Amino acid sequence: MEDFTYSRPASLSDAVAVHGNADDAMYMAGGQTLIPVLKQGLAMPTDVIDLGAVWQLDGIAVSGGTVTIGAMTRHAVVAASNDVGRAIPALATLAGGIGDAQVRNRGTIGGSLANNDPSADYPAAVLGLNATVVTDRRELAAGGYFDGMFATSLEPGEIITAVKFPVPEKAGYAKFPNPASRYALVGVFVAKTASGVRVAATGAGQDGVFRVTVLEDALNDDFRAAPLRDVTIPEDNLMTDMHADAAYRAHLIGVMTARAVARANGRD
Amino acid sequence: MSNVKIGDSLKRFEDQRFLTGRGRYVDDINLDGQTRAVVVRSPYAHATIRSIDTAAALAMEGVLLVVTRDDWQREGFKPMPTKSAVKTNADGTPLKEPPRHALAIDRVRYVGEPVALVVAETLSQAQAAAEAVEVDYDELPAVVDPVQALAPGAPQLWDGIPNNLCIDFELGDKAGTDKAFAEADHVVSLDILNNRVTAVPIETRGCVAAHDAGSDRYTLWNASQNVHANRDTFAEVLNIAKEQLDHIAPDVGGGFGAKNSGYPEPVLCLYAARRLGRPVKWINSRSESFLSDTHGRGQTSRVELALTRDGRFLALRTSTVGGIGAYAWTVGPFTPTGGSARTQGGPYHFPAMHYRGRAVFINTAPMDPYRGAGRPEATFQTERIVEYAARTLGFDPVELRRKNLMPPEMLPHKTPMGLDVDSGDFPLLFEETLKMADKADLAALRAKAEGAGRKFGFAIAPYLECTGGGPKEHAGVVFNKDGSIELAVGTSSTGMGHETALAQILAANLGVDVDRIKFRQADTTATPLGGGHGGSRGMEVGGNAVKQAADEIVELAKPVAARLLQSETEEVEFADGQFQAGASSVSMNDVIEASLDSDKLPDGMEPGCLDHSSVFERGVISIPNGVHAAAVEVDPETGVVGFLGYWVMDDFGKIINPMLADGQVMGGVAQGIGQALLEDIVYDPDTGQLVTGSLMDYGLPHADEIPNMEIGYYEGAPTKKNPLGVKGAGEAGCVGACPAAVNAVLDALKDYGVTHIDMPLTPMKVWKAIRAGGKHDPHGLLGDAA
Repeated sequence: MEDFTYSRPASLSDAVAVHGNADDAMYMAGGQTLIPVLKQGLAMPTDVIDLGAVWQLDGIAVSGGTVTIGAMTRHAVVAASNDVGRAIPALATLAGGIGDAQVRNRGTIGGSLANNDPSADYPAAVLGLNATVVTDRRELAAGGYFDGMFATSLEPGEIITAVKFPVPEKAGYAKFPNPASRYALVGVFVAKTASGVRVAATGAGQDGVFRVTVLEDALNDDFRAAPLRDVTIPEDNLMTDMHADAAYRAHLIGVMTARAVARANGRD
Repeated sequence: MSNVKIGDSLKRFEDQRFLTGRGRYVDDINLDGQTRAVVVRSPYAHATIRSIDTAAALAMEGVLLVVTRDDWQREGFKPMPTKSAVKTNADGTPLKEPPRHALAIDRVRYVGEPVALVVAETLSQAQAAAEAVEVDYDELPAVVDPVQALAPGAPQLWDGIPNNLCIDFELGDKAGTDKAFAEADHVVSLDILNNRVTAVPIETRGCVAAHDAGSDRYTLWNASQNVHANRDTFAEVLNIAKEQLDHIAPDVGGGFGAKNSGYPEPVLCLYAARRLGRPVKWINSRSESFLSDTHGRGQTSRVELALTRDGRFLALRTSTVGGIGAYAWTVGPFTPTGGSARTQGGPYHFPAMHYRGRAVFINTAPMDPYRGAGRPEATFQTERIVEYAARTLGFDPVELRRKNLMPPEMLPHKTPMGLDVDSGDFPLLFEETLKMADKADLAALRAKAEGAGRKFGFAIAPYLECTGGGPKEHAGVVFNKDGSIELAVGTSSTGMGHETALAQILAANLGVDVDRIKFRQADTTATPLGGGHGGSRGMEVGGNAVKQAADEIVELAKPVAARLLQSETEEVEFADGQFQAGASSVSMNDVIEASLDSDKLPDGMEPGCLDHSSVFERGVISIPNGVHAAAVEVDPETGVVGFLGYWVMDDFGKIINPMLADGQVMGGVAQGIGQALLEDIVYDPDTGQLVTGSLMDYGLPHADEIPNMEIGYYEGAPTKKNPLGVKGAGEAGCVGACPAAVNAVLDALKDYGVTHIDMPLTPMKVWKAIRAGGKHDPHGLLGDAA
């Protein structure tokens, strides 16, 4: 690991100020990806700005059909939250299935979304639920936030402060874990909302999380798992690696979608 | 009397320190003035080294030394020797053993091969400087598949070693086997891959090396399974007497064979310590471990079975190609040759067998023993071809096995592979295992799985293996005035519990309380010789050395007892910790106490007269055997496999400590299941880069993937090959697990016509096999190369 300057500001404005004065700063929002990346020398920032003391970023609120989760809220907190469990149980389930207990006790929703790992779980929920990513300077709709593998439309120094999830009529998440890493080989979040069904797949696409429109069309006609067997998922733009080629991933998107729909319909 | 006996599940003494973070591993050792070393490794699978420029690295802050090939050649250091038990081709010529230097001299031949050692004041300084060592490479074509490496036109790793062939070995009766095949009613033939895996011990390799210029003596603390043999290797390389090197393995966190061989890094650190006059510490990172630890298995075999019309086995014929990496390493050529040949055919009666094994150089990390080293491969080959025969010829897999097991009255029996099978009751263990599985109600398990849309599968896999490793072991016992008893053994526990089991053997045989015993191991200063860890030899060789020492101490103690009993030595008998002469008796405890008191000793005996060292030598390797059975469910939508039950019956002869034996079986089964379903070392076929370079891609089994196991032991046929009657328990778990797991999955897939899938049976491979139905080329791996 290369040397860097570590700081732990107590407010959002201080964090942004430190970032502005540094040569090459990175925010740390839990560090579950950043620390290993630093140790391997894959990132060599001059400054690491730990957001762990910025208390205004932590917490969960439910009001008027929206679940708002502060960016520094840990996965374990979301998983255990009664508010989230009542409003969007699929979101609590998703959070409870991220990594292992240590990761869930350190990792945060903001960190996950800023990193935008193509195999992370949260991007599926954000895109599937059409959530809004709130930053220190603006609000970004989910569709405009994700910008390919490990890429987002965040500007340099911009900090995610919260994520606003509209409460759907029903939703479900199903993940097929990579046999080695247990990241999502394919994870599908399905949400039935007043404006239609949204299906978002993570772990599968070459450009990160994406909406599976053929499945959305089928589910808008009939929100049940069984009819999905006849839907062919296009393999274009799906990842191929030693654990799953594009054909297998395409197949798993269908299977995981069916399982997510079954869960949304209360049949696991 | 002792407070323990053989057969007690005595709790492990070592667990207190292991579980409370008080173990002392190599990385816990820090010496005054210690420096840190980092290895510069080859980024290419195959390349010529044009030049190495160390100037920039040496100019960096804190950098003390950069060791390169120039140092190695100037010092005249020797290559590291190969100690394979098999060194001869079938035609009588010797195997090819190209020089293996601790540092690459003119060419690199695998990604991760050491090219230089950088030593600095701190680890981060050494890491930074390692990046600054400028090596100019000329890349060459690479080959990582052993079958391709044999083919005409393949990249050649060594000048003067045509077709990359290290050794071409044969065992058995070729003419008789070929005749049996020609006359058989049925012949089945299948190419079987035994996937390449690596051990991933929880403690990576590492060492601390020190040199004392005044005495010209070296001390090496090293995460090694085999301190004596490694010491000899390191001394040979460095042109020093082995007495100049003290080699100590402190607590070692797992080995499984990967810490068995003489690696380059410790010898580099010993040299650097001498050059600098300061201790040098080197600890491998996990990423480097995947590149630089020895790998195991990695065999492609054509296995053929000849049967009569009614299913009697007539002959077994196997031709194996094993990729051993770029060098013949320490015992690398042995595993795909003699190591896999010996136990071919398992516990079945085969009138004829023939085995051909070719070890082939490829541009990968080296191959050396991995838990079982050939016996798991042999068992897998045998059990897969039997299952394949049952499936394709229409026999019931259970009946076909039952019909061909050697009956107990056939023993002792020398197999066509020359294996001396002396004791056991294979049919009994087979039926007992089936009963254990039946008690779990397989029909109910099937109904439950099918009700959830899954496919149910069951398989039973008898195994027969053998012990191995160093045949000699030393046990030294010292009695102290404070009541403690020191026991030093040349075996090497990497976590399996020798500290407990060997103390248990000494205590039970001497008739003293086990808590008095202080255990030392894996230290060349404490034991003049030792065979380390490997080949399930801990109890078989180490345990018998301790028993022999105890028995001899009893004899030494009889004159002391006789004086206390006012009797004659010849009249003294010993049993259960008591010396008896006529009606009077005295305890071993009292005799030990007297032996330390000159007033109580007979004339001519001195205090400490019971201190004793003994060397046990194994005559013939023993034959652990048993039966595994597995019930699985397969999700046909995703290809995911889950276990519903797992049953094991083992014949390890006499069981010293059932709890420790259980641990060995469970760990072995977990490793076997890992190989069967998840683990796979994958190199890019074009570039030779390691694809599975981290735990993100190398699939170790998780706890929730390993089933609960029901384990039983059969002690009705202890071996007479050694005084304890033990047969070795350390590797058997992973010998039986691969065939049990794979055959159970294939049973679950029989409705789809699937007859074979090569390990690991990952979800994608299972799903693709279902989609392909019965379409499978049985000779797709070896083609004409068999």
